Amino acid sequence: MYKNRIIELLARKLAGEATKSELEELNDLITRYPDSVYYEEFLEQLWLNSDEQTDIPDVDQAYLAHTLKFRDEFEPKPQTNKIVGFRKYKSLIGIAAILLVIVSVSVFYFNRGHKFSPDTEIVAGKGIRKKIKLPDGTLVWLNSDSKLSYESDINQKEKRIVYLIGEAFFDVAHHKSHPFIVRTDKLCVKVLGTAFNIKAYPVDKKSEATLIRGSIELSVNDRSEQKIILSPSEKFALVEDKKVLHVKSDQAPDVPKDITLTIQHIVPVRIGENEYIEETSWRDSQLVFQNESLEDLKPKFERWFNVKVNFEAEKAKSYRFTGVFKNETIEETLKAMQLIKPFNFKLKEHDVIIY
Amino acid sequence: MPKHLPDLNSLISHIALYNNENAYEKLFKSLFPSLYRFCFYLLKSRELAEEVASDVMITLWRDREKLAEVRNIKVYAFVIARNLSLNVLNKHSKQEWVSLDDIEFEIVLDNLNPEQILINDELKKKLEVATEKLPSQCKLVFKLIKEDGLSYKETASILNISPKTVDAHLVTAIKKMSNVLKAEFNLM
Repeated sequence: MYKNRIIELLARKLAGEATKSELEELNDLITRYPDSVYYEEFLEQLWLNSDEQTDIPDVDQAYLAHTLKFRDEFEPKPQTNKIVGFRKYKSLIGIAAILLVIVSVSVFYFNRGHKFSPDTEIVAGKGIRKKIKLPDGTLVWLNSDSKLSYESDINQKEKRIVYLIGEAFFDVAHHKSHPFIVRTDKLCVKVLGTAFNIKAYPVDKKSEATLIRGSIELSVNDRSEQKIILSPSEKFALVEDKKVLHVKSDQAPDVPKDITLTIQHIVPVRIGENEYIEETSWRDSQLVFQNESLEDLKPKFERWFNVKVNFEAEKAKSYRFTGVFKNETIEETLKAMQLIKPFNFKLKEHDVIIY
Repeated sequence: MPKHLPDLNSLISHIALYNNENAYEKLFKSLFPSLYRFCFYLLKSRELAEEVASDVMITLWRDREKLAEVRNIKVYAFVIARNLSLNVLNKHSKQEWVSLDDIEFEIVLDNLNPEQILINDELKKKLEVATEKLPSQCKLVFKLIKEDGLSYKETASILNISPKTVDAHLVTAIKKMSNVLKAEFNLM
């Protein structure tokens, strides 16, 4: 019966769940049976009038009561307490004053013990990849030619700070109220418990941070007031280029002229049936690259295979490749690439010459 | 009415990463009214509803580090509210176990402006009587969708039923009201 159908469609329309074709069907039915307009009008009125019967307590009052009830749960901060009007809540000012003293004493105390002086250094040489477990339980995969330094008593610190040169993947152990901070030359990343990759080789123009799960907040050194929050599967890149005079990204207008910041989604590399995430597959000893020129691949190859790459043919530099290599040697890799683009190579012990 | 809430996800990031109390205050003010209303349907007591809604919020604050991984904070909060409310009911009742289906409550149609539409008190009463006999889950579905602007999917995960069932419940409730309307206005 058409009426039942109209009611059904109206219900979905009110709930905002009707599909486009259902809406069309409804309009069609209403034109055919004009009586049903009453239903529509009536139900819409009913729907729009909110239920005032359960009068909701004032949220400001409720929030105040809430913060008083659970006072111990919140960190005392003088400026939050200021919101509370003072005439009404004189006793709060007393509490705030006491808390302010406690805070300033503790801030002073913590700051003293806060100098970062790493006493442990882990280095992965060229052609080597390492997996390490830090004292706090955090897992770190260190890529070739990278260095990680930290304090051996990281576990007892208020903030867990590590310093990274090169590339590493972090799976951070969850520790209540001990944020984990990764510093590089150009970036600073703060996390609670999450998994992410950071690439910051001093020779590269580009620094990258890729988030796999959880949430991280990062800031560019020297501009620490500007915080960027990444969501899972997002990748942040900072490119330093002295030649670029204008900032490309319009969302960051106050960045110095020679820095470009971009945030994009991770695009997996699809080869055959499989998908590879370029940013993290190095952990499984897979070298993945997508549409990269031989020139861009040079530093990657040098780190991965521990070789020195030299070009004698300018043309070869601009050949672009996409590929996944696992256990192949440099020779096997280059031979495979020769099948795609015509170039020759000579291999000495630690030198590759491409001509 | 579904109100446009501030970007809850960015609030949550601020809470999870910086322990930001200002962000928490905003989150509290966006969620508290809906949570309070939902708890009130279940508990029938202003004091208890206020207490439970406040407890839901402090639970979010206590577990703030995990919040970054929560996909839909609204659903997450409502599920906590449902569980805490049922705990309270179980504690207060002599019965061993209270389920959502056993809770009695009414659909109250309020505040209709007679100038906008010709609905008198009598009709309102008729509508309320008609909806009274609906199963309680059906009424709850009606309220969550109408008052809190939740989607089928969200309502489904809060009440632990399938979105199809949510649709069926809503259609049933609307149908009951339409029947009253039909009799009243001699519609086809």
